[in-house]
Amino acid sequence: MSLLRGLLGMELIGISVRPFLDFQERLALLDSALILDVPLGVISRIEKMGGATSRGENSYGLDITCKDMRNLRFALKQEGHSRRDMFEILTRHAFPLAHSLPIFAFLNEEKFNVDGWLVYNPVEEYRRQGLPNHHWRITFINKCYELCDTYPSLLVVPYRASDEDLRRVATFRSRNRIPVLSWIHPENKTVIVRCSQPLVGMSGKRNKDDEKYLDVIRETNRQISKLTIYDARPNVNAVANKATGGGYESDDAYHNAELFFLDIHNIHVMRESLKKVKDIVYPNVEESHWLSSLESTHWLEHIKLVLTGAIQVADKVSSGKSSVLVHCSDGWDRTAQLTSLAMLMLDSFYRSIEGFEILVQKEWISFGHKFASRIGHGDKNHADADRSPIFLQFIDCVWQMSKQFPTAFEFNEQFLITILDHLYSCRFGTFLYNCESARERQKVTERTVSLWSLINSNKDKFKNPFYTKEINRVLYPVASMRHLELWVNYYIRWNPRIKQQQPNPVEQRYLELLALRDEYIKRLEELQLANSAKLSDPSTSPSSPSQMMPHVQTHF
Amino acid sequence: MEFSELIRTGRAQAELLRGPGAPPLRGTLCVTGHHLLLSPGPQATSDLWLLLLRSVDSIEKRVAGDSGTITLRCKDLRVLQLDIEGVEATLDIARSIEALSSLESVITSFPFFYRPKGLRLGDAWHFHPPEHHYKRVARETNAWRLSEVNEDFSVCPSYPRAVIVPRAVDDDALARSARFRQGGRFPVLSYHHAPSGTVLLRSSQPLTGPQKRRCAEDEELLRAVLAGARPGARGFIVDTRSAQAAKQARMTGGGTEAKAAYPGWKRLHRPMERGRPLQESFVRLVEACGDLEQSMDRWLSRLEGCRWLAHVKEALSTACLAAQGMEREGACILVHGAEGTDSTLLVTSLAQLILDPLSRTMTGFQELVEREWIQAGHPFQLRCAHSAFSHARPKHEAPTFLLFLDCVWQLGRQFPLSLEFGEGLLLALFEHAYASPFGTFLCNSEKERCLCEVRTRTHSLWSGLNQPKEQRKLRNPLYVLNPLAIWPSVEPQSLRLWQGLFLRWTRPPEPSEAAWEKVWQIVTDKEKTEGSQPTVSASEPQP
Repeated sequence: MSLLRGLLGMELIGISVRPFLDFQERLALLDSALILDVPLGVISRIEKMGGATSRGENSYGLDITCKDMRNLRFALKQEGHSRRDMFEILTRHAFPLAHSLPIFAFLNEEKFNVDGWLVYNPVEEYRRQGLPNHHWRITFINKCYELCDTYPSLLVVPYRASDEDLRRVATFRSRNRIPVLSWIHPENKTVIVRCSQPLVGMSGKRNKDDEKYLDVIRETNRQISKLTIYDARPNVNAVANKATGGGYESDDAYHNAELFFLDIHNIHVMRESLKKVKDIVYPNVEESHWLSSLESTHWLEHIKLVLTGAIQVADKVSSGKSSVLVHCSDGWDRTAQLTSLAMLMLDSFYRSIEGFEILVQKEWISFGHKFASRIGHGDKNHADADRSPIFLQFIDCVWQMSKQFPTAFEFNEQFLITILDHLYSCRFGTFLYNCESARERQKVTERTVSLWSLINSNKDKFKNPFYTKEINRVLYPVASMRHLELWVNYYIRWNPRIKQQQPNPVEQRYLELLALRDEYIKRLEELQLANSAKLSDPSTSPSSPSQMMPHVQTHF
Repeated sequence: MEFSELIRTGRAQAELLRGPGAPPLRGTLCVTGHHLLLSPGPQATSDLWLLLLRSVDSIEKRVAGDSGTITLRCKDLRVLQLDIEGVEATLDIARSIEALSSLESVITSFPFFYRPKGLRLGDAWHFHPPEHHYKRVARETNAWRLSEVNEDFSVCPSYPRAVIVPRAVDDDALARSARFRQGGRFPVLSYHHAPSGTVLLRSSQPLTGPQKRRCAEDEELLRAVLAGARPGARGFIVDTRSAQAAKQARMTGGGTEAKAAYPGWKRLHRPMERGRPLQESFVRLVEACGDLEQSMDRWLSRLEGCRWLAHVKEALSTACLAAQGMEREGACILVHGAEGTDSTLLVTSLAQLILDPLSRTMTGFQELVEREWIQAGHPFQLRCAHSAFSHARPKHEAPTFLLFLDCVWQLGRQFPLSLEFGEGLLLALFEHAYASPFGTFLCNSEKERCLCEVRTRTHSLWSGLNQPKEQRKLRNPLYVLNPLAIWPSVEPQSLRLWQGLFLRWTRPPEPSEAAWEKVWQIVTDKEKTEGSQPTVSASEPQP
């Protein structure tokens, strides 16, 4: 971060611009010592505003659109053409890809005392799940990414399916993303399997190998005679996909499967929805019709659909005792949301800090969620149709769950916000590139630092003090509009009218209480020790707790 | 009158459904003078179930075959369903409940019969007398005195016996000022803000009428207020009506203070919703919250359409205005609307919560409710006669007090450490304001309470609430004294629906309660380890 700030800060001071934030009240930062800490990776678009002839204050300068829901506007002096230099420098460093420059993560020489790259080891994670077992085996068929270039090298597949079978199934699945195991239930041994859509096409093609393969998956679980397929898309979209060669599993081809559509919209709909959210919160919060404006963004409705879908998956596996296959079109956006959220509901391990890191690393990063395309790291093409806030949406769903189950997660809100901040910052290698094969080619783990190094070397900051570890509890959040909230602390955090009293006063106070209790216990033990040594009078009295508490600072 | 005349049937077999989360209860149903009882039979493990009939807001009966169903909608927004064996029994029980729940007589109401163990009559009634408040004011300034001009309630029937007024104004002048104010509610002190040396006053509208009458004593009173405050203090009159409405009030004898007549005072209009529209907003909101059928994607705009949160915002921002006037501008504030018994009290009590750390403690808040709502003459009996489910034609009902509690809840949400009490106390006050075994919220004024001998013949809610076993439900374990003013944000994204109240009976409660329970555990652990050492605990108010 220091390097980033150095870069931007020096240039700004060098050309003596007047940075200010353009809010309703025109908060000029001329004289204040405010340091704007904006990682250049966050920048989505840089525009010049005003021309040499513009009149009026602040009409000439730079307008910077950020990926994290804010815009920055720098007003410059017209004389000396200072803007051109600054524009060029900013553009070059914010969009290194277009200038054949390396992304910042490759220059970052930060050192941490833990190595976040070691957090996720697929073999260990599958072993934790009890794999391999009689029905499931680990295969290295994708070792050189030949079977599927967007899948990880290590996959878990049915024991009874040969490598040859896998290759044949791959021909019938979009981008060769064959059904592979994501998670297995520790008791009833039902599984969550993920893949992409079958290549049915207009003519309604069938593939015996794919049909047989799904049947093999079904047979790993003897409790229910059907395999449940959740297609994340709306029914119509799935049908429309036939025109481009895709489609879904038809009843007559897959006798032993039941198919449900989950009505989750595609990346374009989500992008537009978030754009509308930004419109109503930045720079000013839409005052007069806040709730109906919020409703018209449909953001919470999309959150609801994603959560509802994940709840169905989790419930089917846990109570329905049926194995589940999840796919959307390519199986790297909605599918990742559904499998990872369902796993979070089913498996308390993923609700710990390291567990969640593993979940993200596994279901998102290793299984080829296209972070580079969805976020556009270092890329100047801000209007790219591939960009979409799918991962943000997932984190939002996690936040909604953590609101409903305040004791179930080891991490706090700051943890989620930090992940999102570094989703864009390009300071770490964690979210760079679209898939494991690309990351391997670029030697990301050798040449960059992992975000988990930052987090795990300072875990206390990200811990939820209310966390109570529970094994085997399945969480079913209420996915009703009445119980979903806009994540104000994330989406509206740049609005100066949102008061930040304290990072989180309740957590803070609770930590103080915990510390105080520990201190009292210690003192009590000391007194008891002293007492048993010789019968002395315990006269030390601890100071009043209220005197030790910092007071909440309030501003109007 | 005998209750037995209204009870048409002794008992019936019934099953009670209490909504999600609670298992159904089977047993013998029985109507008494004040209660509906369900006795689960000798071998059952669960206790007797009891419902105060007064808390029934609406009743709906259906019969089919040889059994019937009664749906009871309660004033605390609970919905209960009773499946009863026998058509006759169903109809009789329904009729009995209908008759008994709508009795209007105060002195035959349950509080006059309620004699709980462990409480003595009259215990807490003199807990918060006006003298008590005056003592505090007198410590801070000598510009004010306690007047007993209203000793026999003849000057103002809705004021308590004693009120705090400028020392420079004598009782005769007060009586004359009272004649110039609607309902006799002349300007009295509500709160003295010691740090700025300014005061908060409340009254009703002046009776200027179409002839623009004036009253020398009333003008003198307000002049004395400014003279008694810090030198050079200005005054603001916060009128809770629009300028238009205030002007129109002249036609019916009311009006506003003329600028020329009250030098140093400036009028500000902050229109606030009251009466019928407020009640309708409440009804619509409860309807929306209970409507499980309605398409969920329209929920937010429906919530907005209820306008309840807009009223919360109005109330909080007007209170902020009053508080800001005192703290930032060093000005004295007089608040009134028309009668001065509703939105006026809402503003003055909220402004105190914002400014006064003492009013945010457990006792301080109870004192505030007692002083600014009960003794100040908010007509609880009229306003809380019915809640949101009643089919009766609304007369004087308005959820002003509930709106106050909601605003306090919003403050607590925005400043989670600064209130010594938790949501539990607010929920309890809501319930008891609408139906209670205690006498605290009975009647419309001190005068009526005196006539009915409420204070000697019923128990006080404050005694009930301050029993040690209630504390865990009512207190905020995270409280730390915050000596600063707490300025709430009234931005739309900062105000939330009070789910704990409006969705209380339709949502599964446990996850959030688990966290709360955890906090309590740690706090009690801490207190235990502190042992018998006499230290000031964080849960005790500190002046």
